Amino acid sequence: MKISTNWLRDFVELAPPVSRIAERLTLAGLEVKKCETLKTPVDTVFEIEITSNRPDWLSHWGVAREIAAVENLSLKNPVVDQEKNRMPAKGWDVKIKDAEGCPYYTGVLIEGITVQKTPDFIVDRLLSCGIRSINLMVDITNYVLLEVGQPLHAFDADLIRGQEIQLRRAKPGEKFLTISGAELSLEANDLVVADAERAMALAGVMGGKDSEISERTRNVFLESAFFHPGRVRKTSRQHQISSDSSYRFERRVDPEAVDTGTRRALWLIQKYGQPRSISAVIKAGEKPQLEVKTVHLKSSDVKQTLGVEVRSSQIVSILTRLGLDVKPHSEGVFKVGIPSFRSDLTRAVDLVEEIARIYGYENIPETLPAREPLTVCESPRLILERQTRDLLSGAGLCETVTFSLISEEALDPEKDLKRAVQIINPLHHGLHWMRPTFVTSLLGVIQRNVNAGADSIPLFEIANIYALPDGHKHPVEERICAIALYGKKSKQTWLDAARPVTFYDLKGAIEAVLHSAGCSEICSARVSKSYLTQASSEELRVWQTPVAFLGEVSPEICKQWDLKEPVYYAEISMEKLFAHAKRVRNFKEWPRYPAIERDLSLVVKDSVKGGDLISEIRGMGQGLIRGVELFDLFRGKRVPEGFKNLAFRILYQSAERTLVSDEVQKLHDQIAQTLAQKHQASFQI
Amino acid sequence: MKDQIFRIEKEAREDLSRIDSIDAAEAFRIAYLGKKGKLTELFKQLGTVPPEEKKAVGAELNRVKQWIESSVEDLRKKVPCAGASGAMFDETLPGIRPPQGSIHLLQQTIREISGIFNRMGFETVEGPEIETEFHNFTALNIPLDHPSRDAFDTFYTTHGQLLRSQTSTVQIRVMKERKPPLKIIAPGRVYRPDTVDASHSFMFHQIEGLMVDDRVTFSDLKGVLHLFLRELFGSETKIRFRPHFFPFTEPSVEVDIQWGKGWLEILGAGSVDPNVFDEVKYDTDVVRGFAFGLGVERIAMLRHGINDIRHFYENDLRFLRQF
Repeated sequence: MKISTNWLRDFVELAPPVSRIAERLTLAGLEVKKCETLKTPVDTVFEIEITSNRPDWLSHWGVAREIAAVENLSLKNPVVDQEKNRMPAKGWDVKIKDAEGCPYYTGVLIEGITVQKTPDFIVDRLLSCGIRSINLMVDITNYVLLEVGQPLHAFDADLIRGQEIQLRRAKPGEKFLTISGAELSLEANDLVVADAERAMALAGVMGGKDSEISERTRNVFLESAFFHPGRVRKTSRQHQISSDSSYRFERRVDPEAVDTGTRRALWLIQKYGQPRSISAVIKAGEKPQLEVKTVHLKSSDVKQTLGVEVRSSQIVSILTRLGLDVKPHSEGVFKVGIPSFRSDLTRAVDLVEEIARIYGYENIPETLPAREPLTVCESPRLILERQTRDLLSGAGLCETVTFSLISEEALDPEKDLKRAVQIINPLHHGLHWMRPTFVTSLLGVIQRNVNAGADSIPLFEIANIYALPDGHKHPVEERICAIALYGKKSKQTWLDAARPVTFYDLKGAIEAVLHSAGCSEICSARVSKSYLTQASSEELRVWQTPVAFLGEVSPEICKQWDLKEPVYYAEISMEKLFAHAKRVRNFKEWPRYPAIERDLSLVVKDSVKGGDLISEIRGMGQGLIRGVELFDLFRGKRVPEGFKNLAFRILYQSAERTLVSDEVQKLHDQIAQTLAQKHQASFQI
Repeated sequence: MKDQIFRIEKEAREDLSRIDSIDAAEAFRIAYLGKKGKLTELFKQLGTVPPEEKKAVGAELNRVKQWIESSVEDLRKKVPCAGASGAMFDETLPGIRPPQGSIHLLQQTIREISGIFNRMGFETVEGPEIETEFHNFTALNIPLDHPSRDAFDTFYTTHGQLLRSQTSTVQIRVMKERKPPLKIIAPGRVYRPDTVDASHSFMFHQIEGLMVDDRVTFSDLKGVLHLFLRELFGSETKIRFRPHFFPFTEPSVEVDIQWGKGWLEILGAGSVDPNVFDEVKYDTDVVRGFAFGLGVERIAMLRHGINDIRHFYENDLRFLRQF
């Protein structure tokens, strides 16, 4: 809202420079965003931003009251009409049929207005606030709105049918044409100001085209009312119309200002509009009363909350300046009367805040709380998460942050989305699932980077997936670490050649995570995921619990993201990883006796699993094998079609004695023979 | 025999002076000490030396052998090496770097902020992102008809939950579970249906902080926040505390930091509103507390000069790898 400093001077003295006052207001919570000097009209304008609890600041008088409080100055009131003996408007009637929507309504009939020019000071002040002059009546309603904060509405009285004003709910589907020309279809929740036949205004929001005042208007019905804040807000949102009036009504206007607004307008109309007659004010309903009219404040509350001692005399002075009625109640306790425009003050703590604001937050000292003996500051679960981030980023992967909301693109309605959580009011069409997997998010990131020319894209992200399992009322969130690898494993350098990333790079990364978490007893099993290639996906289990799965994203899905090379994707459950993590590891002595290495090269059918061979070799080692490593694997050349050559390096070592070369050779030969028989393996290359 | 030794030693000295590379040093060593080296040959002849001279000749041979060995060793240390000979060494070639990944800047920012509060004794805790109206609104003293509850401002699920629009929900969960004293911070994702542009996103990150005991005051809040901001933005950082309004704190404050010529809002805070304590069944006569909340994206954008919030979620490697 724009505030003219010329206008403020009607109510309070402003000692120059006004920029200082702007700063004082900001530091008291009435934020002045901008302080602008205008040439025509000559004025300085504050651009203020108010918090939703302070609708009383939405007027020049309200801002002046705050300045008076902050600067300790006296406040003048606006000049209002004082006439008490007017004649009632004959034949006119106001009926409130929706007392919730409109608890209090007033109207005045003003007849015989002559065409008059709006006085310059009103034109100028409105202009300072960004409003152009239209005609005298409209200008006066705008002027009063900006001055005392009460929205008024002027109807052309000759266009009101039946001399009757009704405050009622709209009929569902009732048509209404606004002043701005929008045609609306109303709903039962909308409150309308109607005459005997039709809706004339969307109460508190906007007037109607066919009762609008014009150059020809001679008789005016001037409305001032209190409309229910929530109802005005709903109507304003429902029809997406907001106005200076709705902005104030939905934040709650001061019930007392309903009358003040009318009387201020009448004073101006009388003086500048020279009407033939003004009726007595027609009133219907009751002014809403504050729920809390008095609050008891202990002066010790101030010290306990703020940490600073504020003198009793200062408390009284501050609250009085804010328009509150402070009386001593008992020793150290004040009884504080709350004015009608401060419905936000209902408790002692609210008054403490008022005292703090005016006392000045900057004058409250800074202290540090006494340290309490508390628990550890980072849980083991978060530490594991941090270590995993460090490990993966240290291994060359880049962490992403992608949206938790996704579309169903590429996901299986049965397998992936059946238990997924859905949003009813998505912002972007399609993004209405809380993701059950990160795969599509990371495919999107890969695509973006491929398009940007990247050829090596190693990614990971640690965040939640969401599901509503059968029998659950509340969704379950699981922290996962997803990894996606695409393109080159490493760049070509002047020393090393480049190579594409493989499934086993992904598997190695996961093994590193599991190892670093201290997991033992890891084995793998086949797994089926809708978006992974069946033939090359597996799951890693720790102590038989599935902790991670990994595989190649199926080529059809990669095609949807225009990805030409394979994408390797994995998810590690951080919760399950944590369950099997070992933070403190025990030292293991290594054998002191020398080890003997022997290589074993086998040609076996393609169907024989390398991992099985390793376990079999270990199984036959009579406790003398300390390590088995696959160091070569190849097909083709002299290896026949359908076969592969596997080369293992076996480390023989005993914890108790030095092994003799002969006995190792014997054991090694025995292992080789057994494998050869079992798998019809041959040794020749 | 001694003459032979003397001759070979003299020869070796001359050869040694011409050596300019590791390869040459190795060749020199082999020429004298290899299997068929000149000195090795003499060792082989040691058997033919008369017994009374054997000891002296042997000692002499060993002396020369040791001298050659140590000379070669010295040479190895002196001649520059790049896996090959000195002539091949090129100090201007780039190094081969280990793979360099990155932790997302938002995560780094969360870490840094959490770290500061951890050192002040605040414990990092987390809460669910899919929440109830109670935790997101009711318990935080947000009235039933408050605009933020509208579907315009909060995402709702088909089963009646919502996506938390603020991390303040974690305050409520922790207070319901534990008794004071409490000192926690809660980082995490939050959601609001804002149209995405350079400064808005429908998902972003917040960090919530809460301290509750029987004596903490507004002046403690000021002290803690000032210390935090000095840690994060440097000891010269100028800040100001400005009254504001939040439903769950009273008094409430917005904290600005001086940025160039003006002030920038950096976080919101306040003393915990008694209504919030009532909701979690804390005795409002005894407990005192303060809470604060800050936007991670906003702080990261300020600190790193990032002008568009969308960079965080686009995950362009050219962005990710900068930090």
